[in-house]
Parts: sequence; C-alpha cells; structure tokens
Amino acid sequence: MQIMISFLLAILSSMLIDNVVLSRFYGICPFLGVSRKVKSSFGMGIAVVFVIVLATVICWPLYNFVLVPAGIPFMDTVAYILVIASLVQLVGLFIKKYSPSLYKSLGIYLPLITTNCAVLGVAQGNTDQGLCFLSSLANGIGTSIGFLLIIVVFSCIRVRLESSNVPKAFKGLPIALIVAAIMAIAFMGLQGLFAGIQL
Amino acid sequence: MSKETYLIIAIVILVSLLVTFIVSFVLYRRTPVPKGCEHIKISEENCSSCSHEECSFYKGKGEE
Amino acid sequence: MAREKGYTKNNFLKGIIIENPLFVSILGTCPALATTKTVEAAIGMGILFTIVLVCSNILVSLLRKLIPEEIRTPAYIVIIATFVTMVKMLTNAFLPELYSTLGVFISLIVVNCIVLGRAEAYASKNKVFDSLIDALGMGVGYTLALISMAIFREFLGTGAFSFGKVFTFIPEVTLQIIPKGFELSLFQTPVGAFIVFGVILVVLAFIKNRKAELKENRARQERLKKQKEAAAAAAAAKSTAEGGNK
Repeated sequence: MQIMISFLLAILSSMLIDNVVLSRFYGICPFLGVSRKVKSSFGMGIAVVFVIVLATVICWPLYNFVLVPAGIPFMDTVAYILVIASLVQLVGLFIKKYSPSLYKSLGIYLPLITTNCAVLGVAQGNTDQGLCFLSSLANGIGTSIGFLLIIVVFSCIRVRLESSNVPKAFKGLPIALIVAAIMAIAFMGLQGLFAGIQL
Repeated sequence: MSKETYLIIAIVILVSLLVTFIVSFVLYRRTPVPKGCEHIKISEENCSSCSHEECSFYKGKGEE
Repeated sequence: MAREKGYTKNNFLKGIIIENPLFVSILGTCPALATTKTVEAAIGMGILFTIVLVCSNILVSLLRKLIPEEIRTPAYIVIIATFVTMVKMLTNAFLPELYSTLGVFISLIVVNCIVLGRAEAYASKNKVFDSLIDALGMGVGYTLALISMAIFREFLGTGAFSFGKVFTFIPEVTLQIIPKGFELSLFQTPVGAFIVFGVILVVLAFIKNRKAELKENRARQERLKKQKEAAAAAAAAKSTAEGGNK
C-alpha cells in the first residue's frame, strides 16, 4: 500500500511539479513545432507516452544487469539511443503493417520521436540519478503523461492564438514562447503541492 | 560468472541491438504506405522544429 | 569543380548569421533553454556541441561513399552517439564541474536535431573540408546564440557575471553590476528562459520585417518613377506624333 501511494505520488510529481517541457526543458522541439492542432498533438503525445514507458522498461535493466556487470557503464548513451531508435522503428513497422487507421493518426510522428529529447532524457536521467526500477518507471510514466498534458493544452492555446490579433513581430513562434513562459509561471505555483507529504 | 563473460554478453547484446535497429529501419522504409494514407500531410507549411527528412513537415524536401 | 571566390568564407559565415541554427532555424532549443543560466555553462555547452558537430561531420563526410543510402540514418546516429560518449567521458575526467553543471544535456547532444540535420543535409553530400567549415560555422553560430541568451539571463537573474565556477582552471571572478537584492531571480528560472528566447525572436522578426518593408518601399518608389518616366516618354511621343499630324 505504502509503495502504491509513493508510486502514484512520484508519477504526479514528475508530471506536474517537474514538468518535462516547462521545467526540465525536454522535448521543446515537438512542443513548439507540432502542437498547432489539438488532434495531431494528441497523437504525438500518445506515441511519446508509449515509447517512453517501453524505453524505460528496457533501458533500466539493460544498464543495471548488462552494462554495469560488464564494466562498461559508459556505453549507456549509445545503448539507449539504439534501444529508442529500434523501438520507434519496430512500433512504426508494426503500425504500418497491421493498423492503417492508427498509422493515419500516428504514422508521421513516429520517426520524430527518435530525436525527441524527452525519451533519451528520461532514460539517461533515471540511470544517472541511480533510481530504482519502480522510481524509474514512475518517472517514465509521469514524464510522458506530463508531456501529453502540456502538448495538448498548449495546442489548444495556439489554436486560439492563430486567430487572435497579435503584433506582426510576435506572430508565430515568439508569442508561443511568451505563452509558454506564462504557463511555466502557472506550473511554478504547483511547486509546493506535495510539500507536506513524505515521499 | 567472470567479468569477461559479462563483457561478451554485453557486446553481443549491443551488436544485436544495432542489428535490430538497422533491420527494422530498412524494413520500415520498404513497407509500403498503407492504403488511404498516401496523402497524409499536415497543413502547417512552415514547421521548422527539426530536420528529420522523413517527416512530412520537413522543409528542405522541396528544395532538393 | 569551379567555385566562386570566398565560398569558404561564406560557408563559414552562413552558420553564424543567415542560417543561425538557434535563432533562424529554431533547432536545438532544448539545451539552449536549459544550459543558459550562466554565461560559462553556455560557453561550455557550445564548445562541447561544436566538438561533436565537427567530428561527426568530418567522419560522415569521409564515409559518405561507403555508407549505403539505405542505412544512412542509423549509421549517423551511431557515429554521433560514439562521439558524444567520448566527449562526455573527457568532460567528466578533465572538467567535472562542467560535467555536473550540464548533466544530462551532454548526452542529449545525440538527439540534437542540428547534428543529425547537418550530417544528412550537408556532410553526406560534400567534401571533407567543406563539411568541416560548415560544422565550424554552425557550431560557432550556435555557441554565440547560447552566449547571447545567457548574457541576458545571468545579468538580469543574478545581477552579476561570474567566471571560474565552471571552468576551474581560471581564477574565480564575480562582477556584481546590479546590487544584491535588486536582481530579478525570475530570469534564472525556466520562465526567464522562455521569455528571453521569445523576446530575442521578436527583436529578430521586427528587424526582418523592417528590412522587408524598406525594401518594398524602395521597390515601389522605383516602380513609380519608372511609370512616371514611361508616361512622360509616352506623352512626349504622343505630342510629337500629334505635331507631325498637324
């Protein structure tokens, strides 16, 4: 029970307090580039959740049971990027072959996920900080859901921004960045959320 | 097990990962796009978030 | 292959101004926002990034005829990851402070779109020397962009410029410009990163719009002038023709 509660709390804290995009700066590229339509950013987010969780599940044992006993922990980055890239390709292959409807909504985002910092950042961060498997899993789930949340919310805002009358120099990316800054202020307010609870 | 055994296992795993990646990459490229998805394009004309050539957003495609 | 004079120079300079990876192409934003808290960290990040970019561009360019077309991307990813691992280990050994300041972002150079993008778009098609110059230009451009962001963030956020904390081989100096208590620590937080990046983009867009406007104005004036001249010429021709009729 205790474990369940701290697992959920860890998910929530890496989702809201340490939000990937707004406080850890992972995955800014898709955040700024893709999120202009709610539907497509949702597709991107779901694909990222899937890949991050799978990558966490594979990378942690790979580091702790293979690379460390062999005495080559420095190969972690190479191993992780290989895992992530093959995962992305395999998932893409599967979708392309067996599920055209899913391909229709996710297909174009899949190759992009390899170069999404969030995936490698989570895998690398987990082992750099020496987290245990459950904490890594919680971090992976929380981070990816946080990414999904923020990219969907942001795309909703950008839909409204497209039709609003902003000064010419602010059009496009600059106003999006300013909006992101305001969102970051809002997320800073969540910082004390779990202050009273012992994690 | 001795350290050398672990090392060999690790190298085998890394190489197999690389092989998996290359095989899946080539297979992914060779698999035809499913029916009805040939013309999927996002209407955003100037996505410049990355330069992944396979992305249909990719700007440089038209220039080459 | 015939090439125009100054090609190398332009090839170098394009990465700094016209095709600046951060401010024009908006690539590599993640480390740009995360590692620009202090000028020193930005310089460190820029240097490591440039080293990886130059090495991978050279190797990709050397191997461009050996790597089959079909497995180009996987090969590039492995090459880049190898260089990043090397840079990471060297940093950890010789500049541990820089290593701990940048943390996971050294590893994230692997997935930085600029490195893979330059390998695919430039180094895979050009000669070694050109690729080297291209990588140097892009690297220096990115470093300068990082430094310009870090200057604002460090100055406004801490009111001081401090050196020697990350690069421990130089003596530690702190230049307090804004007195303590009057700094805006907001600029050290993620919020400041977004605001500074946004404002820089606004200024650049403003300058670009302004230039385009001026150009358009000049073109319109020239067009009007030409029209007037043409009209005057036509009128003159008409009057002479009429004169002839009379």
